[in-house]
Amino acid sequence: MSQLLREHAESQFADELAALQKADTRERPTNWALSPWAVVTYLMGGTLDNGFAVSAKYIGNRRLMETAVSTLATDRALLLFGVPGTAKSWVSEHLAAAISGDSTMLIQGTAGTSEEQLRYGWNYAQLLSKGPSKDALVPSPLMRAMEQGKTARVEELTRIPADVQDTLITILSEKSLPIPELGMETQAVRGFNVIATANNRDKGINELSSALKRRFNTVVLPTPATEEEEVAIVTKRVGEMGRALQLPGEPPALKEVRRVVQIFRELRNGQTEDGKTKLKASSGTLSTAEAISVINSGMALAGHFGDGVLRARDIAASLVGAIVKDPVQDAVVWREYQETVMKERGDWKDLYRACREFE
Amino acid sequence: MTDTPFHLFGIRHHGPGCARSLIQALEHLQPDCLLIEGPLEGEAVLPLMADADLEPPVALLVYNPDDSRQAAFYPFAVFSPEWNALHYGLAHGIPTRFIDLPMAHQFALAPSEPEVIAADEIKADDNSAGAVNQAETGVEPSETPETDPRLDPLDWLGRAAGYGDGESWWNHLVEERGDSLELFAAIREAMTTVRAETPGPERSAAAQQREALREAHMRKSLRQAQKDGFTRIAVVCGAWHVPSLAEMPSAKADNDLLKGLPRAKVAATWAPWSYRNLSSASGYGAGVTSPGWYEHLWKAQPAQRAVGWLSRAARLFREEGLDCSSAHIIEAVRLAETLAALRERPQAGLDELNEALQTVVCLGDAALMRLIERALIVGDRLGRIPASAPVVPLQHDLTQQQKRWRLKVEAVDRTLDLDLREANDLARSHLLHRLNLLDIRWGRPQQTGRSAKGSFHELWTLQWQPELAMAVIEASRWGNTVADAATAKAVDQARTLTALPPLAALVNQVLLADLQTAIGPVTQALEDLAAIASDLVQVLGAIPPLVNVARYGNVRQTDVGMVEQVLKGLIPRAAIGLPGACSALDDDAAQTLRDAIAATHQAVRLLADETLRAAWLQALERVALLPNAHGLVCGLAARLLFDEQAASVEGTALHMSQALSPGHEPALAAAWLEGFLNQSGLVLLHDGQLWALVDGWLTTLTEERFRQILPMLRRAFSGFSAPERRQLGERAARPDNPLVPSGALPDWDNERAERVLPLFRQLLGVG
Repeated sequence: MSQLLREHAESQFADELAALQKADTRERPTNWALSPWAVVTYLMGGTLDNGFAVSAKYIGNRRLMETAVSTLATDRALLLFGVPGTAKSWVSEHLAAAISGDSTMLIQGTAGTSEEQLRYGWNYAQLLSKGPSKDALVPSPLMRAMEQGKTARVEELTRIPADVQDTLITILSEKSLPIPELGMETQAVRGFNVIATANNRDKGINELSSALKRRFNTVVLPTPATEEEEVAIVTKRVGEMGRALQLPGEPPALKEVRRVVQIFRELRNGQTEDGKTKLKASSGTLSTAEAISVINSGMALAGHFGDGVLRARDIAASLVGAIVKDPVQDAVVWREYQETVMKERGDWKDLYRACREFE
Repeated sequence: MTDTPFHLFGIRHHGPGCARSLIQALEHLQPDCLLIEGPLEGEAVLPLMADADLEPPVALLVYNPDDSRQAAFYPFAVFSPEWNALHYGLAHGIPTRFIDLPMAHQFALAPSEPEVIAADEIKADDNSAGAVNQAETGVEPSETPETDPRLDPLDWLGRAAGYGDGESWWNHLVEERGDSLELFAAIREAMTTVRAETPGPERSAAAQQREALREAHMRKSLRQAQKDGFTRIAVVCGAWHVPSLAEMPSAKADNDLLKGLPRAKVAATWAPWSYRNLSSASGYGAGVTSPGWYEHLWKAQPAQRAVGWLSRAARLFREEGLDCSSAHIIEAVRLAETLAALRERPQAGLDELNEALQTVVCLGDAALMRLIERALIVGDRLGRIPASAPVVPLQHDLTQQQKRWRLKVEAVDRTLDLDLREANDLARSHLLHRLNLLDIRWGRPQQTGRSAKGSFHELWTLQWQPELAMAVIEASRWGNTVADAATAKAVDQARTLTALPPLAALVNQVLLADLQTAIGPVTQALEDLAAIASDLVQVLGAIPPLVNVARYGNVRQTDVGMVEQVLKGLIPRAAIGLPGACSALDDDAAQTLRDAIAATHQAVRLLADETLRAAWLQALERVALLPNAHGLVCGLAARLLFDEQAASVEGTALHMSQALSPGHEPALAAAWLEGFLNQSGLVLLHDGQLWALVDGWLTTLTEERFRQILPMLRRAFSGFSAPERRQLGERAARPDNPLVPSGALPDWDNERAERVLPLFRQLLGVG
């Protein structure tokens, strides 16, 4: 057992990647570890001809993954877009692991990300003693990916200041990175590409220039399509996290998970699951990840202050906090939901009362 | 096949790939006779095809003139194989015959055999535009309108080939492929296998019987053509029928089967059709999901297909003001081709092109793709028919109803006074309202009836204009009877309207027109829209007309339960949203909201539902106490609460002095007073408590403060009429306010007073 808290995708799923590589007879783009077909299989899971079972990394629409992989095969950069908690970084990591066998060429975008972090920096001791030379150059992950023909990842692209973002334009269109100090340039080797992720809730922060936007193909990762899918994701993750955090109490009852997921889905979609009643949609994202955290804190509450069994009271507290993000607008949304939907459901009386207590 | 004169071409209705292959095959074969799956009666109107005014998409309409609910549409698009075969026949002067079982038999069979009217078939009869033709033109087994995927042979084959559904499988294999003459042999083989494997019991006995009859008639027609001496006979029919036409049983068996079939009266004509009606989303069984895409497949060169389609999409995007450069299109083409390669398909199909557009141009946003779906994939093309074509069933139904209710069609203005208590007049009113819903503006309702709401009378002005004939034809796409068409249109409108007041008006119209089946969907739409409407004035605006319907609808013997249900949702929503909507208003907005609140208040009172009233009053209370709301609205709320005795005199007095206290902006205080007085001088004059309240506040003012506030008072009182103001002044001049009843009651003789009560009760109709 590894001592690491979390392993990289390519080492955690090394056996699956190796099996796929062996079984994969289709044409591979230059410097790709797998064929596009095998990459999609790695992401979506499946059984190989030799009976080897590949686990699913992404639970959702296969066509989206096909589009993402095809984009990378056409040497266009890929932008994964979506509300927080829709597995953007997760998909990006696994794509890089499957295509290049290396998911570590990573640049985390922040408001403080500078051009040096995207292009190259200098080893100043070398620079001062020997002057500008290739040895004094400290390449960025992006530059290394260009040299090796691998996949680079940029997380949270829209948080990077606009003028720094535009550094990417030359790299993406000319596939080269000039180094004027040395009078040379690095040209990307075949197989190089960029996967960026961005959050479409924070659009306003540093919106991409249209020149840059045009160089990306955008795939929007949606929130789970069906209730079953979402309940499955939440139960699985809550189980895993509960163990890791050593939460006291019993594993959550499926009934409560179902209810939380249903509330989230209904408020997110602006209508009840049976499609009969329309609702105002909440301004919060209400992602699957948030549903997971509502259940988690409910479990903590039940374990430390209750009888260890997750009940309506335990959920109500964090439910209100997760839903009411805007005190004016969301409060109305939430109250309307309680009065027109929760109240009418016969077996939801306990939850309705518990929520009213928190008003 | 060489020894037989028959050449069978199994096609999919509305398949451009089939059409292209069919034309090639016909050119190759040079037939001397064309037999096409279509109703025998349709042959009569085939000559109209030569008319340049007949522009596809059009439908061959066969109907029973005695009962226009029995009708079948056979739609043709420019890319339909049958359409092209017909044109081929016309251009080459080849005898062209329809070989399907005559509709005369099909109509006559439907009502006479009780088992045909199984649950699913009743639907077929009521909704003949969608369903009977569904039975006619599908790649068959679509006799039943249910959409069970197991019933579609394409779905079986598609699933077997690993596709999600039959549509995309067929698209890739047939419609989007190059032409090939072997196509028809392949289709025939596939269908033979499917028919052999089809589990029989899945389809109703009636449907099987009908199919047996139809195929027997087709074979009979084939033999007839052979007997007439034709040697190269091309037979164009739904792929499903090919196997049964390939092997001919004895002529006698077929003739026995067809012997003695009943006949009904039948008429045929052309009707304009639209791509929307052609798409399967419209409920048309043999419909295709993408008429616009098929037209593109039909017109574009295979090599130019993807580029042409994406350029059209780009032009569409630009027209809508969205960025879409040539570079976008280049990248989209590349992505679509890579996707096709990943999925191991020879050429990018509609799915790949859609995904490429969404990813490259729309930045992953699915909302923009709906534009493509509507304008390109389905398309908004509408066909045309020549003026010489015979009339539509809707016109027939209308004529029948006009006769039945004795409404004369005249070109002059005529006034009609309907007494809604009479069954005949009520039916006439329903008819006129339905026609108005269909935009056939024959009658105009006169708003100035004898009295206001609740009247038993309705006044109409009738005038028939020649243009109305066109309106009828236009409306005929909604249905074959006035009631069906009006229902379909109302439901469609309810789906597309996005503002509450017109939707509320539509509910009213639907009730007036007595369209029972439309009430559900329309009120549901209203409820849905109300739930997400954020403009409170709109929500408030929808309440009074609905309350009127709920309160007075019974005069027309309509069921208003649905409307009451809607109100039960609407009023609490309005109550929850009201306080939020009252802040940050300018004067105009406050004025609008004031009127809306006042009207809604009246409506809520009229409804006399205790829980709704309580919720509404609670909202008013919150508004009255809102710290930063517009004075006009707060004043009104305080006044309404006072009138309802939901607020005490002391509370209201306190409220008033707070609102009008010196610290307040004078303009706001004046607005408050204006709202509080609510343009009702007379009430102030006669309501002792209210008078005392205003009077009490006025007298507490210091002289300096009074001078400050005088202009506002003038403004608040200026809304009253001159006599009102004079009376107010006179009353204020009397020191002891004699209008207020002083403590002691006059000396009644109770016994004598009670004697008049029975007569009063009789007069008032109570007890």
